[in-house]
Amino acid sequence: MTLPKGFGSGGAGGTGSADVERMIGRRVENMTGLITISYIAAWLATFGGTAAGYYYYPWAYPTPSGHYAFIVLTIVEAIGYLFSVKVSEEGSTKKSNGLVGVTLGGTAIGTVLISLFVGN
Amino acid sequence: MAQMPALIPKEVEIQRLKKIWLIVIAMGSTAASVEVDNFVDGSLHQTSIRDSAFTPAHWWLYSHFVALPLGWGAVAIYDRRVPILRGPNNSMNTGLKMTILGYLATMFTIGVNEMWHFWFVEEIFAVPNHWMFNMGVVVAFMGALAYVVRVYARLVELGAETPGENPYVAEMYKMALEGKLYSRSIP
Repeated sequence: MTLPKGFGSGGAGGTGSADVERMIGRRVENMTGLITISYIAAWLATFGGTAAGYYYYPWAYPTPSGHYAFIVLTIVEAIGYLFSVKVSEEGSTKKSNGLVGVTLGGTAIGTVLISLFVGN
Repeated sequence: MAQMPALIPKEVEIQRLKKIWLIVIAMGSTAASVEVDNFVDGSLHQTSIRDSAFTPAHWWLYSHFVALPLGWGAVAIYDRRVPILRGPNNSMNTGLKMTILGYLATMFTIGVNEMWHFWFVEEIFAVPNHWMFNMGVVVAFMGALAYVVRVYARLVELGAETPGENPYVAEMYKMALEGKLYSRSIP
């Protein structure tokens, strides 16, 4: 198989597993931590976005609307997070159900607490 | 399903396709959260009429019309590493082109929309300032469907995903792999 410039043995042999690993870079099944941090960042940004709405523009974006939006957004983001981790780890020996459970549980509890105690 | 020729090692291709797939899930999550919110909560996007010309809650909706063209642009940059996803004459994949053009149209319509709503506050789907939003989103959806199905079909062909049991779905995958989901003449 012809490999891109810089890979392979220059015609002396076939494709080595080291070349394949170099072409892959970071494997998707090792991205669970990155995906988890991204999900938490997205969730915090969602809180920030809705809070900016009900603190700075309460006439356009009342607090109950902000909380409602925050809850719906969190559910949709959680589904996306779950899909991302499952897609990245399928077919590998990696299992991160514990991490996913703790993350989803934590954001669920956080969402309820924020909706109860934060607002204008 | 005919096996398409491989230009890069199978394992590399699976990993790269999955990275594209993860970006698509992230964008889908962004779009769904913004759009679902606008359907469930009337204060985010007033159903038929605005209470004022200036509506900060709309920024939430607009944010994904900026995020999606940028996200699909990121896909287009990474997409060059997967030979099966190339378009005609080694150009960008046709579905991806349509998607980016569609979402770029919606991005530029934000300005038109704000200018229009300075005078008129109705939020009816069919008013002229929404035309480019509606057309852009439809073009983008058509392109994205062709592209996403092609990515998934290739993952099925490489054995990384489960093939569809429905013969009509399997036929759609086959057409997508041949670049003929929408047209037999434009790959």
